Amino acid sequence: MIFGFLGMTYEFKWSVLWAQPHLTWLIDGLLTTLRLASISWCIAVLLGIVFGAMRTIPFRPVRIVATAYVEFFRNVPLLVWLFFWYFGAPEAFPEPVRQWFIHHGIEFWSAVAGISVYHGARFAEVIRAGIQAIPRTQLEAGLSSGLSVVATYRLIIIPIALRLIVPPATNESLNLLKNTSLAMTIGVAELTFAARQIETYTAKAVEALTSAALIYLVFCLSISSVMNWLEAKFAIPGLIVRGTRAEH
Amino acid sequence: MKRFGLTLILSLFVLSLAATASAQAQPTLEKIKNSGVFTIGVRNASPPFSFINKQNERAGFSNDLAELVHKEIEKKLGKQVKLEMKETSPATRIPLLTSMSVDLITETMTDTRPRRDSVDFSLTYFVTGADFIVKKGSPIKGTKDIAGKRIGTQQGSTNERVLREKYTQAQLVTFPDQAAAFMALQQGKLDAYCNDAIQLWGLKYKSATPDQWVVVGDWISYEPYGFAMRKNDSDFRAVVNNALMEAIEGGEYFKLYEKWFGTKSDVPYPMNQTFKTFLLYQVVPK
Repeated sequence: MIFGFLGMTYEFKWSVLWAQPHLTWLIDGLLTTLRLASISWCIAVLLGIVFGAMRTIPFRPVRIVATAYVEFFRNVPLLVWLFFWYFGAPEAFPEPVRQWFIHHGIEFWSAVAGISVYHGARFAEVIRAGIQAIPRTQLEAGLSSGLSVVATYRLIIIPIALRLIVPPATNESLNLLKNTSLAMTIGVAELTFAARQIETYTAKAVEALTSAALIYLVFCLSISSVMNWLEAKFAIPGLIVRGTRAEH
Repeated sequence: MKRFGLTLILSLFVLSLAATASAQAQPTLEKIKNSGVFTIGVRNASPPFSFINKQNERAGFSNDLAELVHKEIEKKLGKQVKLEMKETSPATRIPLLTSMSVDLITETMTDTRPRRDSVDFSLTYFVTGADFIVKKGSPIKGTKDIAGKRIGTQQGSTNERVLREKYTQAQLVTFPDQAAAFMALQQGKLDAYCNDAIQLWGLKYKSATPDQWVVVGDWISYEPYGFAMRKNDSDFRAVVNNALMEAIEGGEYFKLYEKWFGTKSDVPYPMNQTFKTFLLYQVVPK
């Protein structure tokens, strides 16, 4: 009815989604997306913690290096980065190394490189904001207790910062999962690619793309509910003000 | 507040019912007449059919044939109509057509029976088959040699389908368009690139170093090219086919063929006698 209003005639055929080989494509695509997202996420969080902390250290050269990394990588669209990592970066390696990469999933690893470095820059900003939200007095107290700068960061500042940044970090994690769909432009057969594949083979665009949308939705909702649970479980009482719950 | 929301939903429902009663899939000729614009789907990098040339203009054999269709539409409607060109790709062209963004796909679309479930095709205006392009000196000479090798194709193309279904030992790597796939071939990320033979010849001659590339193998599929349009639109289809038939009968087609595939062109490809007979037999009597 609604599609009639738009001037198109369309017949729905949801069975294309679970007909073989379409179902295999969707499942393979989903597994590739999850693999890509989880590996990239781990690297991105690591890069984010390192560079985010580096931006707050009271030593200028270190801060400059970290700022350069963040500004350089987050200000270029991810799609452009993916093309760079796939078509540009491999050319810098010697021929035998390149050949090895080519025969060991260069598309996948270029996508991992692009996504993790880009999101590493974004995580760095999130973590920097978390660290800077902690009063300077904590650092001074740590230093005056005899801890070194590194130990103060490791034992006091970063654990508190990690708790503070759970909401924006969840946001960035969801962005990372969704950005894995861009990898299809460099030939990675992930979920969006699989949905487009079904669409071009069967011309049933609505069914194919709805299935991809629903799968992304389910995963994103799962991630955010896990993060909410994490936030509640590791909360330091009295540290983060909760608006609704009354304190006894 | 609740009342307002309910009223809004009810009124939208009634509106959509009313709209459905009056609107149907608008025939293309009517749409072109009302909007004054005829939009065709073209490619950026598929020489010599549809591409952007060194002077940064859109050009190509398909583009020129589409101009003839444009003139025929103007003749039929009796008014001036603007020709707009929109870039399409194998994966996006059918959705663009059915959503009315594009009226006619005039690039390098193969006419196949599954595709005829979604779109209608004009007469066949070119025939070719899928082939491979490799770097000179490559051991690949045909389909016997592609097992385990990385073969590139475009996402959503018939070539991808043929390789996936018939040559499962080949390692398939798909790209959104020809430009990306050819760049991967140049960088050695692919052992061969599979596309319609005539497009591979076009790629070879248009590349910076034509001698470095070789088109190998027998045709692994039959690829007849046709213009694609929305289904159940006989009036528009008649206009498109009339334009093509006039071009074949009147000789304009052969002039364009000579321009793009003749001995002095960038992609010399002499016309096959069987193909010429096929073309002439498609022209039904006036």
